Amino acid sequence: MDCEKVRDRFSSWWEKELSPSEEKVFKEHLSSCPKCKREFEQFEKTMRWLHSAGEVEVPEGFLPKLHKELEERKRAVPEEKRGGKWFYFPISIKLPIQAGAMVVVVFLVLYLTKTIPMEGARLKEPKQTSSSLSVQEKPGGALTRSAAPSPLETPPEAPGPKGVEQAKAPVPGEGRLEEAPVPQIEAEVKKREAPARSTEMLGYQAVDSKEAARASVPSPGPAKIEGELAVSEKSRVASKPPQEIVLRISDRKKVISLVHELVKQFGGEVMTTKGDMVLASVPMGSFREFKKELAGFSSSGKADRLITKKHAKGSLRLQEGAKGEEGDEKSKESTSPAADMERRTIVRILLVEE
Amino acid sequence: MMTPSPKIQKEVIENCKAGDEKAFTEIVLHRQKRVFNIAYRMLGNSEEAKDLAQEVFISVFESIKDLKEEIKFDAWLTQVTLNHCRNRWKYLKRRQYFSSDSLDDPVETEDGSVPRAITDPSDNPEILLEKKMIQQLIQRGLLELKEDQRELLVLRDLQGFSYEEMGDTLGLPEGTIKSKLHRARMDLKEVLERFTH
Repeated sequence: MDCEKVRDRFSSWWEKELSPSEEKVFKEHLSSCPKCKREFEQFEKTMRWLHSAGEVEVPEGFLPKLHKELEERKRAVPEEKRGGKWFYFPISIKLPIQAGAMVVVVFLVLYLTKTIPMEGARLKEPKQTSSSLSVQEKPGGALTRSAAPSPLETPPEAPGPKGVEQAKAPVPGEGRLEEAPVPQIEAEVKKREAPARSTEMLGYQAVDSKEAARASVPSPGPAKIEGELAVSEKSRVASKPPQEIVLRISDRKKVISLVHELVKQFGGEVMTTKGDMVLASVPMGSFREFKKELAGFSSSGKADRLITKKHAKGSLRLQEGAKGEEGDEKSKESTSPAADMERRTIVRILLVEE
Repeated sequence: MMTPSPKIQKEVIENCKAGDEKAFTEIVLHRQKRVFNIAYRMLGNSEEAKDLAQEVFISVFESIKDLKEEIKFDAWLTQVTLNHCRNRWKYLKRRQYFSSDSLDDPVETEDGSVPRAITDPSDNPEILLEKKMIQQLIQRGLLELKEDQRELLVLRDLQGFSYEEMGDTLGLPEGTIKSKLHRARMDLKEVLERFTH
């Protein structure tokens, strides 16, 4: 047995794992090899020292301190659960939540940045209307009206209980209303005006306090604004008195085509043809001639003009009002093309077959 | 070498798993010496060992519910202890905790620093009888070894673990444990020789 093998068996000898024959060879080698013998003595001494090292006593107060530590941890755990539970969520949960929150924040910021300037513009608006009375559409939809209303706008005197009733008649010159049948006009006007209602009303109030007083809506709520808008819209319609002519005819088709031609001749426009009724707008100046020509189509040679009393009264009032309060301004308007449109009258021609 | 610890009954472990603090206290009383001694031999410092043993038992209380086989409680407890020791050792090493405590370091005296001279206790009958000195020497020798070698020597030669227990704890086959243990003993012998000459 060589030195290396003998030294590898030191532990086996210490553990008493060597067989008697192995132990015999092992001891013979040690007695013949001083180096291995010295190594073995050192090994044996190390092992004796190791095994002589007794156990160290546990310091006093170990258990009470442990209980105290556990109590402290128990108290700390609920606090962690309350405040720090988030930190224990896995990243796969936390990340999507955080990303979602970021998106919400971005949209919130975008929304706020869009809405805040609009509110600012609204606040500035009254100052602008007082300084320069011009028709101007603000970014927020606020519409200010000048003291001289545009031809397409309602004269401020228009609204009134009777004017509202007159609104049933269509308005010539208002492109958006041209094709609409009479009963539908009002509803359509309301619908189309809806987005700009509130802002338009602000304009009305800012400029014309008289009108606001008549409407008796000092601070319009949503419902009141709607009602007031309807009044103002109807007042526009009422400013143009409707004419109704009844034609007694024998050939309906022929007369309708003739009426169409006649309207065109007089520079008017056929708005709608429905059954026995033709709705047309004709320049006011040539209305008499138009009426005469129309009477020629009648089989009896006469055209019956029917204007309801209400309509007549309403229109008279409106005309007076327009003359009395807006006379100067209207005269200015007459030069514009829109003013020509204003001077048209609407004619409802009823065809009665004999 | 330590006296064998009494076996902890299965019911006590089960009660502890259910959160019974009395059962936990019983476990602590039965195993605190073993845990503290392993920690002390692995770290070489009584205060560190005490704190570590506290942490070990807190871990036991918090995670004993995850222990599936009550019969392997002792192997599991030793694993928990050794894991805490490894982590603590790393932490202390990073902070050069033991560097000034080495036997190779020069001893600071009033006349300046001189090399540390340690006489062989066996040469001096007075010192030889000083068990405390031998313990100190062994402890310093252990700290000079690799961590896994120290674990083997502590478990087998200081705590008296059987090879089977060591196998359960370290997850190594008996043959590997024996050969590694022998290498650790021989290395400790070298270290002690270096200290005493």
